[in-house]
Amino acid sequence: MSASKNKGINLLRSSEQSSLRRFLALYIILVIMVLLLLGIFYYQSQEKLMFSNQRTLLSNHANKELQELRRLHRDFPERTEYPKCSEFRSAIYDIERVEIFSRLKNPNVNFDKEIYRINNTIQFVKYLDDYYLGAKYLFVEIDEDETWYSNIMIDILTLGSITLVVLAIFGLFFVNLFLRPMKNSIILLDNFIKDTTHELNTPISAILANVEMMDTEVMGEKNKKKLTRINIAAKTVSHLYQDLTYLTLNHNRHSKDEWINLEKLIEDRVEYFAILAGAKKVDFVLDLTDATLFIDSIKIARVVDNLISNAIKYNKRNGTIYIVLKKEYFTIRDSGIGIQSNKVGDIFERYTRFNSSEGGFGIGLNIVRSIIEEYQLKISVESVLGEGTIIRVDFFKGILNDE
Amino acid sequence: MNKLWALLLVTFGLNATGQENLNIYERHCIPCHEHRPYSLERVYMLYLKTFSGETIFKASLKAFLKEPLEETSVMPDEWIDNFSVKSKSVLTEKELDDAIDIYWGLYDVRNKLH
Repeated sequence: MSASKNKGINLLRSSEQSSLRRFLALYIILVIMVLLLLGIFYYQSQEKLMFSNQRTLLSNHANKELQELRRLHRDFPERTEYPKCSEFRSAIYDIERVEIFSRLKNPNVNFDKEIYRINNTIQFVKYLDDYYLGAKYLFVEIDEDETWYSNIMIDILTLGSITLVVLAIFGLFFVNLFLRPMKNSIILLDNFIKDTTHELNTPISAILANVEMMDTEVMGEKNKKKLTRINIAAKTVSHLYQDLTYLTLNHNRHSKDEWINLEKLIEDRVEYFAILAGAKKVDFVLDLTDATLFIDSIKIARVVDNLISNAIKYNKRNGTIYIVLKKEYFTIRDSGIGIQSNKVGDIFERYTRFNSSEGGFGIGLNIVRSIIEEYQLKISVESVLGEGTIIRVDFFKGILNDE
Repeated sequence: MNKLWALLLVTFGLNATGQENLNIYERHCIPCHEHRPYSLERVYMLYLKTFSGETIFKASLKAFLKEPLEETSVMPDEWIDNFSVKSKSVLTEKELDDAIDIYWGLYDVRNKLH
């Protein structure tokens, strides 16, 4: 069985991409709003053009209808049939805007506009000087030719889409142009950290190797203590080095997953941290079962190292660290200062530290979370202020060695 | 002689009965206009062509009836030359309003157009 990995975890680039996405979204929303406004202006200008074309026709219809009204007024009441024409419909209203007679499809007329569209018709109003049949307003209505509307909508959508795409490409180009100095700074800083980290490796390894090789039996008690301090300091720097290396160098490398014996790994790491724990007089209590996990050895080592390191760092003097390993999970419990319940959710955030009096960059648990997410494991934290913290890592059954 | 008295009595009686059934418009407007060349309906159409809207129509007509002037008359010059401007109405405000309301309702074009 193989681990299902969550690809694409890239701490530096993901924040950059997120900013880029947010900027582009904002840019595109603004562009769409501008295009909408332009579309509205274009639509209004086209509508005015259409009205100016139709105004002559409607005015002619209105004059024709006026002649009919004049005749009707003259012949009234012998003739009472309101004029009817197949080309248009009309209505008359008195000066108080009360309907006298109407043949309009849309009776909701607008007295304040000379020409306007309403429900697929165009209405035109003529103000009369002689009030034939008492009419002050003569409305003339024709059916709207809808082709101009569909043509305009097609024009707006086509031109709008093309402009949007072009402006989006420009936006992308400009964003990259503006971000380039920032990217260069980040790359420079990244390279600096990589180079510095690389340069740290050799001296730290040399210090640790030589400390291990020193013959402590011939040393006095004072020198032994000094050597232990050197060892602790070197291991602290080494641990920091491992985290920085993971962030800058190993993070993007291709994982080499294999079956890892967790029992042995935890025993090795406990032994490694024994001197650090001893400095604070912290004891380890281990309850380990034989368990294996299909995972990259460097990554699982970062998880275990960071959890043990934190358990030591935030423990009380003369405290205890309980490590339990079962087939499906392991827990690391300390008897330390604990974390306030409202801050438990923040501990995996980068550059977050429980206690500023302790050293470190606050990157350890952030690395742990990124590895946990990559391998779709589950991590949970329970903490009581003043009593201690339990961190539990659950493995999914699919990645347990059940061969 | 008795027969003559009886005939006069019947005639007055009939007239009195007829007058009582007539409305204010019929009693005070029709008698003067019915023998004129312009019917009341034609006068109505002249007014309508000059004053659009029921409120303005009624107000203008009322003002004219209370204070008839050549300048405010809507009748053609020939009419005024032949018949001159009518004399002031002796009706009360309410009677005038009632008469005009009846007049408006009688010839309202909205009820006749189709």
